[in-house]
Amino acid sequence: MRIDKRTAGAAAFWTTAALTLAACGGGGGGGGTAGEASEDDKPAELTVAAWMDFPQELLDAFEEEHGIEVVVNSFPDGASAQTVLRNGLAADGAGLSDVHLVELDWWTEMMAVPEDWVELPEVEDRWVDWKVTQGSVDGRITGYGTDIGPLGIAFNQDMTSAAGVATDPESFGAFIGGEDATWESFLDAGREYVATNDNYFIDSLTNAFQAAINLLPAAFEDPESGAPYDLAENTEIKDLFMTFADAADDGVSAGIAIGHADWGAGFQNEQWATVVTPAWMTGIIADNADGIEGWRIASTFPEGGGNWGGSFFTVPATGENTGWAVKLADHLTTSDAAVAWFETTGQFPSQLEAMARPEISDTENEFYGGQRVGQIYGELAEAAGDAAAGGFRGENFAGIQTLVTDGIRLVESGGATPEDAWASVVENFEALGFETAE
Amino acid sequence: MSRWDIKLSPYLYISPFFVLFAVFGAFPLLFNVVVAAHDWHRRAGMGDFVGLDNFTWVLRQPLFWRSLENTFSIFLWGGIPQLVLALFIAAVLDQNLRARTFWRMSVLLPFVVMPVATAMIFGQVFGQFGLLVPNLQEMGLLTHVDSPFFQDRLLSHVAIGSMVVFRWTGYNALILLAAMQAVPRELYEASTVDGASRVRQFFSVTLPSIRPTMIFVVLTMTIGGLQVFDEARMYDGGGTGGGHGGADHQWTTVVLYLYDLGFGDWQDRLGQAAAVGWIFAVVIGFFSLVNFLLTRSISSSRGPRVRISKKTTDAVIARARAAAEESRRQAAATAEPPTATSGADDDAGAAGVPRADVTKEGARR
Repeated sequence: MRIDKRTAGAAAFWTTAALTLAACGGGGGGGGTAGEASEDDKPAELTVAAWMDFPQELLDAFEEEHGIEVVVNSFPDGASAQTVLRNGLAADGAGLSDVHLVELDWWTEMMAVPEDWVELPEVEDRWVDWKVTQGSVDGRITGYGTDIGPLGIAFNQDMTSAAGVATDPESFGAFIGGEDATWESFLDAGREYVATNDNYFIDSLTNAFQAAINLLPAAFEDPESGAPYDLAENTEIKDLFMTFADAADDGVSAGIAIGHADWGAGFQNEQWATVVTPAWMTGIIADNADGIEGWRIASTFPEGGGNWGGSFFTVPATGENTGWAVKLADHLTTSDAAVAWFETTGQFPSQLEAMARPEISDTENEFYGGQRVGQIYGELAEAAGDAAAGGFRGENFAGIQTLVTDGIRLVESGGATPEDAWASVVENFEALGFETAE
Repeated sequence: MSRWDIKLSPYLYISPFFVLFAVFGAFPLLFNVVVAAHDWHRRAGMGDFVGLDNFTWVLRQPLFWRSLENTFSIFLWGGIPQLVLALFIAAVLDQNLRARTFWRMSVLLPFVVMPVATAMIFGQVFGQFGLLVPNLQEMGLLTHVDSPFFQDRLLSHVAIGSMVVFRWTGYNALILLAAMQAVPRELYEASTVDGASRVRQFFSVTLPSIRPTMIFVVLTMTIGGLQVFDEARMYDGGGTGGGHGGADHQWTTVVLYLYDLGFGDWQDRLGQAAAVGWIFAVVIGFFSLVNFLLTRSISSSRGPRVRISKKTTDAVIARARAAAEESRRQAAATAEPPTATSGADDDAGAAGVPRADVTKEGARR
């Protein structure tokens, strides 16, 4: 009798628990299409998940127009926003905001199931073409572009002058190869620089290496099947790897990339003369190199240009107010919004009209000696062309890229010769046991 | 009603722990078995059943073995100094110090600092331009690489071990202190009478007496020390391209490796990550057992029976001496007038009782 009651009690408890859990998981609609944004179902507030500061006037304008308060769920960095989004998607939308900011670096991962996302209506001529390409999955637009990261090279003209190689942005451009600059000519310039200096030419070669990888149409994986290529047979990557690894072996770089604990101190100690700098990094360098004179942005970039990062506003399909959320995503990515953002955080717009605005192209940047940084990056973005959209990125792109980049870092830290580093990269790749594509 | 009260209430009172444990402890633990036996994609979830394939896959990874080596090395660099320091600090705090509570609380301070904050600060200190390295290199030390505490595998383990020491020493010292306070003071008195030095007392009285606590401390230290994650993850700042233990995986720990597999760049390796978790659980279990046996044998090197009987002997001798003293004193006291007896008794007590007794009274006060 007693046992019966206990069993019954336990059963009741677990049933309740299961129901509660099920209730948490429920809700939300089917994926794919947005709901109607009608006055009837207008919510009191919409939430946006992102990790940068919002221009207040942008949020106020939306509330004024539609009477919906916009609440920003702010994250300290992209990685934590990524974690929340990843967990939310796996849990049928639990804990997600109405609109989510997604960074290019983890875009592919989030888009693994396209039905998770609301298809956004096309907006003509708002963005550079390659931004729209990046923000689409199977021809459906699922992300409205915010910023892009056209690549430039920041260099310290006081240091290059002292080395006698370049005195201003023009002569620096010529020094790294001029109009036809390639990574080889850039790295040779680096060898020349370090031959006469006891500091380094560049902070780390990993960013340059990844920029070069990004230009390949299919770096690690077969676009048809999505299966990785056998790395040992991937001569394109091996050649690229050797090019950068040899330079690393020659001591061109300090081996301290952005994000490393020593990166800021490296600027203050004048350890390197150049940094591969996407537009969004200009402000970060200004903070870290505060008080160090002579930093400028060169308008020449090897291989014509490139892109690193940039983000999209997306609408998870599980949201309850997808119709209004789409309106908000649209509102947050207009050219006006982009200009407001440029003024708040310095991020560079992907919107064509915004790039041409005087607020962006004519603003003189005090840290970079009064250079019109916005204009320079606008030209770099234009010169970069469609190749900047990047090649095919499958499911294992990020993992293999980290693996290969670690090989460069290994040579930079003096831990191995280029040949040994490549051998260890291949060994680690093979241990992963992929079924590789031909 | 009251029957329900009697039967049900006790269970309700203890239920919060068991409910929480079931949800956050037992369920994930068991579910992990399911994950480890399947292909598991981070977004798409459960894939095919693969049996033990994930386990064999993990055992074939050079990075797994490297991370295992790193973990044990960091554990040794963090664990041994930690234990020695904690014992020393506890022994010092066990003495009659001024402002005792202040000292006891201060040793716990590092424990309330977030490990991530500790890691970032220590990362700066050990960095190429930090507090330590430029000065050392100026003296001609560690000049083999630019940034020795990051590039040299062993030194990176020392650095991360030092964070573990920083965080856990005070905590363990307090646990050991609590045990030391419970050691009967008579044992110290007796050994003092026998002429044992402080050091000898520490090794022959204190250490054997706190054996159960030592075992507890060593076990929790083993389990915790092998699970180092935050410190390794944030040591190099954890930014772009960082946070996974260095270019050569110099300081990738097993838990960090697990995290990278399941939640890092790869999207379909949750099954393998779960397998790492299970393999590592077995390793920790085995290693804890070894440490348990080791600790037990070390802190009772002379065998419990012998030790106790010797102490008993000591105590008996001490008591006999005290009794002899007492009778001599009383013989002297009988000569005095009866009114002064009580006062004389006190005086004699202060003067005649062995010194250890005074220490004891002081300690208890």
